[in-house]
Amino acid sequence: MGTTATAYLTGFGAYLPGDPVDNDGIAARLGGVDAVTERIRRRILDANGIRQRHYALDEHGESTELNEQLAVKALQAALADRGIEASTARMLATATTMGDVLVPGFASMVHGRLGGGPMQLLSATGVCASSLAALDAAVSKVRLGDHPVAVVVGSELPSRSLRQRRFDGFRAGMDSHFLRWMLSDGAGAVVVEFQPHPTKPSLRVDWVRQVSLAHENDVCMRSGMDGPEAAVGQTWQDVSIAEAEARGMFVLRQDVSMLDDLAEAGIQQFQELVDIGLIDVKHLDHVICHYSTNAFRDVAFDALRRRVPSLDTDRWFSNLETRGNTGSASIFIALEEAWRTGRFEVGETVLLAVPESGRFSFAFAHLTVVAPTTPQGAQK
Amino acid sequence: MTADTLFDRLADVWISLDAQLEQVPVLSRLEDGTVTLDDYKRLLHNLRQQVVDGSLWISRAASNFDVAHFELRAAAIRHAEEEHRDYLMLERDFVAIGGSLDDLRSGRKNIGSEALSGYMFHYADRANPTGLLGAMYIIEGLGAQRAAAWASRFQEVLGLADNQVNFMRYHHEADGEHTGNMNAILTSGIISDEDADEIVRCAQVVARLYAMQLAELDS
Repeated sequence: MGTTATAYLTGFGAYLPGDPVDNDGIAARLGGVDAVTERIRRRILDANGIRQRHYALDEHGESTELNEQLAVKALQAALADRGIEASTARMLATATTMGDVLVPGFASMVHGRLGGGPMQLLSATGVCASSLAALDAAVSKVRLGDHPVAVVVGSELPSRSLRQRRFDGFRAGMDSHFLRWMLSDGAGAVVVEFQPHPTKPSLRVDWVRQVSLAHENDVCMRSGMDGPEAAVGQTWQDVSIAEAEARGMFVLRQDVSMLDDLAEAGIQQFQELVDIGLIDVKHLDHVICHYSTNAFRDVAFDALRRRVPSLDTDRWFSNLETRGNTGSASIFIALEEAWRTGRFEVGETVLLAVPESGRFSFAFAHLTVVAPTTPQGAQK
Repeated sequence: MTADTLFDRLADVWISLDAQLEQVPVLSRLEDGTVTLDDYKRLLHNLRQQVVDGSLWISRAASNFDVAHFELRAAAIRHAEEEHRDYLMLERDFVAIGGSLDDLRSGRKNIGSEALSGYMFHYADRANPTGLLGAMYIIEGLGAQRAAAWASRFQEVLGLADNQVNFMRYHHEADGEHTGNMNAILTSGIISDEDADEIVRCAQVVARLYAMQLAELDS
């Protein structure tokens, strides 16, 4: 059995485009001002609890930035937080639901814009859990000793496809409204290294786990297909663009009736990690959980508290209400804020939890706050 | 001339080398557990500048063995071939801990490495430089008997992956084999008494200069 290094998170960055947009400012950017849409929007906003979010759209709904730009700004913030240059990084792992272009991969575009030196790339796609899939890849390569420094970014710019022009010409159901009034833009990034930060605390990555239950679940969140099952000859690539648009294939949808099952499956996955000993509920100090709406916050929090009685609201962190649901960027944006605002003490443990509705994926990461190394090299 | 065998005499040289290594600061820090990543990086940086010369002086020595020393020439040619890519492993380790290949390749030898390398090339220029077996005894011995322990200790103290200590790990295996081959030569009966004196003398000089190379980091 070979010896591996340890991976530490040593720098944290986030970028949220433009000024925060409150609930009254959404319509100016995304449109949908008819009475029915207005009413649906209010209802959904009441349920998801999001009070403000950011869009890379100006007050008239025109794009202001590319997704790759959001990613680069978050990465630059993380590198600056660590005090190193992009040229130090030997690997870039990106997570996004949709890049700006179809080809090439998102990581290539982000690397091109970020600069630095030659590096290994990974473009993790999917939805929210692709964030931790990207982190897992970077952490694994650092632990193998293949790279001393890697950077990871989750970045999303869904607002472009949430504008009214995407919804003109067909009747949108709740499956598209739910996401339209929930998703927003942003990016979060971390620096991964094989040594802890020399002068400040770091987050040691104890493990990352990701599992898909697509073998026993139908598609929950989709775009580019007509109905919940992909059919030969019936994807957006098979039919004409005009037809795909008319059939609403370019709209992002979620089957909201499946979300209770998703929450239940996520809690089961957490329980399994407790059962196999990866999570010690007696020594779990903080939980940062990604969820799409406050309704699931309560479901998840109650379920976890039954297993972790000491878990009070102080140890549970989310910035959904003020930063919005930014998909694969959310977990990094929340981690950055929790870290920067000093919620964690040396020796404490942190669980990141990211359920993904796409087709039922669940990702978790377990972190421990460690002190910087002393000048002599030994851990304090 | 005492009745000591060549092996006994070389063992004495080894014992004095051990005592010198105890005085080397970076090795003391390694033992104490106070060694830093920067120490490991510097050590690799310093070693590399001399390691790149390894197969060069062995090749030069090979070219200076006449046909009466055919076995030694054959052994030297084989050995040079085996060693001449070694520094690439060291370079990969250096990069894997965050070092820059350009920095490493533009480095210069420290004072100890200058002395060691200069001595080796000078000695290899002699006709039939049999004494270099003494240099081998020291250099391969360090690889076979010390490098793996250093690698493990660096891993333990600094949390390094196997992929970051390839050079020291490899030398444990490869030099163990080389040491075995050399012992076969030393006991084959082709070594004269004069050769034995030269071998011991060369081992003494190389032991001293190698310790100096380790002590004089960046000098």
